[in-house]
Amino acid sequence: MKAEDILKLPSMPAVSPSYPMGPYRFINREFMIITYETDPELLRQAVPEPLEPNTDSLVMYEWIRMPDSSGFGDYTESGVVIPCTLNGEPLNYTAQMYLDDEPPISAGREIWGFPKKYALPKFEVHSDTLTGTLHYAGQLVALGTMAYKHRNSPDGLEAQAKSMTRTSCNLKIIPDVDGSPKICQLVGYNLTEITVKGCWLSPARLELIPHVNAPAADLPIKRIIGGKHFLSDLTLPHGRVLFDYLKDK
Amino acid sequence: MKKQDVIALASMPLQSPTYPRGPYRFFDRQYLVIGYQTDPDVIRAHLPEPLEVIGDTVSVQWLDLPDGEGFGAYSATAQIIPCSFKGEICNFVSQMYVDNTPPLSGGREIWGYPMKYGKAELKVEADTLTGTLHYAGQEIAVGTMVYKHDAFRKDCSKEHELLSRTQITLKLIPDIDGKPAIAQLVGINFADLVIKGAWSGAARLEMMPSVNCPLADLPVKKIIGGMQIVTDMTLPYGRVLHDYLAK
Repeated sequence: MKAEDILKLPSMPAVSPSYPMGPYRFINREFMIITYETDPELLRQAVPEPLEPNTDSLVMYEWIRMPDSSGFGDYTESGVVIPCTLNGEPLNYTAQMYLDDEPPISAGREIWGFPKKYALPKFEVHSDTLTGTLHYAGQLVALGTMAYKHRNSPDGLEAQAKSMTRTSCNLKIIPDVDGSPKICQLVGYNLTEITVKGCWLSPARLELIPHVNAPAADLPIKRIIGGKHFLSDLTLPHGRVLFDYLKDK
Repeated sequence: MKKQDVIALASMPLQSPTYPRGPYRFFDRQYLVIGYQTDPDVIRAHLPEPLEVIGDTVSVQWLDLPDGEGFGAYSATAQIIPCSFKGEICNFVSQMYVDNTPPLSGGREIWGYPMKYGKAELKVEADTLTGTLHYAGQEIAVGTMVYKHDAFRKDCSKEHELLSRTQITLKLIPDIDGKPAIAQLVGINFADLVIKGAWSGAARLEMMPSVNCPLADLPVKKIIGGMQIVTDMTLPYGRVLHDYLAK
């Protein structure tokens, strides 16, 4: 394999790259987001400076079904998202993510710094209940339930699509081969080509079980705000560096 | 979290780093290594320049890792291509499959081990040391070896030499804009290697063609034989042997 071909490879391994070049198109990507209020001091600890956590101490716990994802396949994800600001601009910081498919784990971590680990999330309708579960290393660590399509979101589908263009942000850390930090950045990206096919608001409940390697419960639930369920098509493009810990002061 | 604490993190995510800092010590790390002859033209196509082809022999390896510091208990399958770099005989790690995130992500992000998620298993089934690999629901590889037929052999120097060789990986990490941020050949040498047992004997290997787990792209022309090795060893950080982005 020639050097110029190596520089064209999208990812490891060279003989069958884990993921192709982006952007990545998702069809029928379905979300359940349960928003809750947590402890402000614990929230501050979980958010890296210079990001500022939202002043209402809100956390969004999510399940996402992705049955048709270009380059990645069919998989399910669950995780923790924290609304934040950076220099006054509102954005969503992804704090934890758990999924059952290697290409989006490796691409997620290596391109955008999504904090992804391998686990077994499930997101299904069980009779009258939209149900999310997350098992990590054999143990249940999250259970989310939401009433099924009780009412359409009063803001409508266009407003939901617009809200999804908000900047998302990750802390990307990639070590050098000697263990020193090679990449340590806050990165930002914005979803594009978003179509929302349905959006519903319903009552919800959430239980998080303490687990050292999947510590969603480290941000304890003080009060459930509510659940949102929506179905969309969208594109995940590459992103940009918002803050570089090795260069910016 | 404060900026200086962010820089001190070993890995993502901030709240529970996937892997701690190395080095990483492994206890009772067991190998099944099946060497075979393959098509030298395919070897040439799979080896990144400036690594050089030294023959037509490669191996598929199963690893049982019951006690890896920072990583836990897991199993792996790898395809290894012996090669030379600046005259030194090395082992290029071409493909690797594991069933555990810390070594998968740590392996890729620190050293560039070309790891994907696959279900490898290495165990003794009656009289047969048996390695299997499932990828995306399909059985892709089965390796079998006779069980400790040369039980009274004392000399383990061949196995020691094999595991002491420099391992080479092709580390590729994209930048946030999709361009390459890291494109390097990385060299890794195990430290504090103790061979606790080593056996050799007859072996067989079958691989099914699979697009995302293409072990069978290096076809078996002739089986050389099998090795079973039990070790304690340390995986330290590595060093850059070649930087494709350096001008």
